[in-house]
Amino acid sequence: MNPSLASALAVFLGGMMLAASVVVLFVRDLLSAIIITGMISLSASVLFLLMDATDVAITEASIGAVLATLIFLWGKGKMGGRE
Amino acid sequence: MIRTLFVLLVLLVLAAAATSVIPHLKMRTELDGAGLEYARRGLEDTGSINLVTAVIVAYRGLDTLGEVVVLFSAATSVMLILSLFPLGRGPTDPSFIVAHTARVLPAPIMLLAVYFTTHSHLSPGGGFPGGTIMASAFLLVMLGSSSTPAGSKILPALEALSGTTFGLLGLWGTMTLGQFLNNRVIGIGNPGYLVSAGIIPLVSLAIGVKVASEFSGIFAAFRKSGGNR
Amino acid sequence: MNVFYWTVAGTASGLIIVGLWGVLTRKNILRIGLAFTIADTGVNLLLVWSGYLPGRTTPILNGDVPAAEAVSAVVDPLPQALVLTSIVIGVAVAALFVVVAVLASRRLGTADIRRMKELKW
Repeated sequence: MNPSLASALAVFLGGMMLAASVVVLFVRDLLSAIIITGMISLSASVLFLLMDATDVAITEASIGAVLATLIFLWGKGKMGGRE
Repeated sequence: MIRTLFVLLVLLVLAAAATSVIPHLKMRTELDGAGLEYARRGLEDTGSINLVTAVIVAYRGLDTLGEVVVLFSAATSVMLILSLFPLGRGPTDPSFIVAHTARVLPAPIMLLAVYFTTHSHLSPGGGFPGGTIMASAFLLVMLGSSSTPAGSKILPALEALSGTTFGLLGLWGTMTLGQFLNNRVIGIGNPGYLVSAGIIPLVSLAIGVKVASEFSGIFAAFRKSGGNR
Repeated sequence: MNVFYWTVAGTASGLIIVGLWGVLTRKNILRIGLAFTIADTGVNLLLVWSGYLPGRTTPILNGDVPAAEAVSAVVDPLPQALVLTSIVIGVAVAALFVVVAVLASRRLGTADIRRMKELKW
């Protein structure tokens, strides 16, 4: 991949991931926090792909971004509205 | 208040430790250590085009066996806890869209999973993503039915079968060549073909089925404990 | 000065720090789990970064990368293999965490760790 394009993508994704990780800690709605965490995992899988780690990118996209989000969503549903 | 200060202190110490490393960081431009050896000899040794799979299944196969054991204990704990302390009234009826999607999509999802699992030595993928994609196909089937999860007797059997296969393939190497999980027990064949790389495709399949049955077991336990509330 | 290389390192370290911050300061037990997942992602990124060599390609020796030139053409396969197993373990442990958190919050009637007195000693 074109190095400058990869750099631009990395700066964009990295900044967004850091901002999103702070948002996860402070957003009031737990559902939003769970979805944003899944989005951080998905961005991480793009970074893995840019670092030529294709196996890791596939694994992170299928496990980290999907299964972890599902598990936390189940937990939120089971907890009901308890804060 | 003291707690907040303590947290700040811990984070500051961590950040200071991290920043003190920065002046010593250099960009890596050459391979060294184990990675160099794997890149140099990996294809010859294992016959696997994908060096990552060669490391996971052949060079570090014993570590992967330990990792599968950790996964097994985590999944078993989840199932045990949820069967000891039931949480809900059982599965709820699926909505129209979910029920109809669950009739169409599992087959192509399963095809992708089988491709990832069986071509682990040729292309990116491998047993871990393949197994979880299999588990997600199983989850979709489960979400599309309103009865309790089917196949709850098959899952433990698959789990035991794949785990035993992994162990026996490893012991085969111990008995014939004196090395656990040596993949040359059946010859490495012609690199680049589907039937090549010794026992790597078989071990990969065992890992895939094992991971799929663990995660399916977790999801079946979740589904049994019901929808919301 | 390779922008991509150092950006990824900074992102990974930042995610670890933010994740630890969340684990130490948040009150909702499920949100602590989320912060833990974020720190986990950061650690995985940092490990893969440690095996990344700029200008090289994926460690798959097909026709584009002849086996004889592999040493000077591919990135380090070892950290990638480690991270692959680490991701799977991370999710399995997160599942266990969520199940225990749900049981604790239902039994004690709260998801706030300040009110889970039974867990303290």
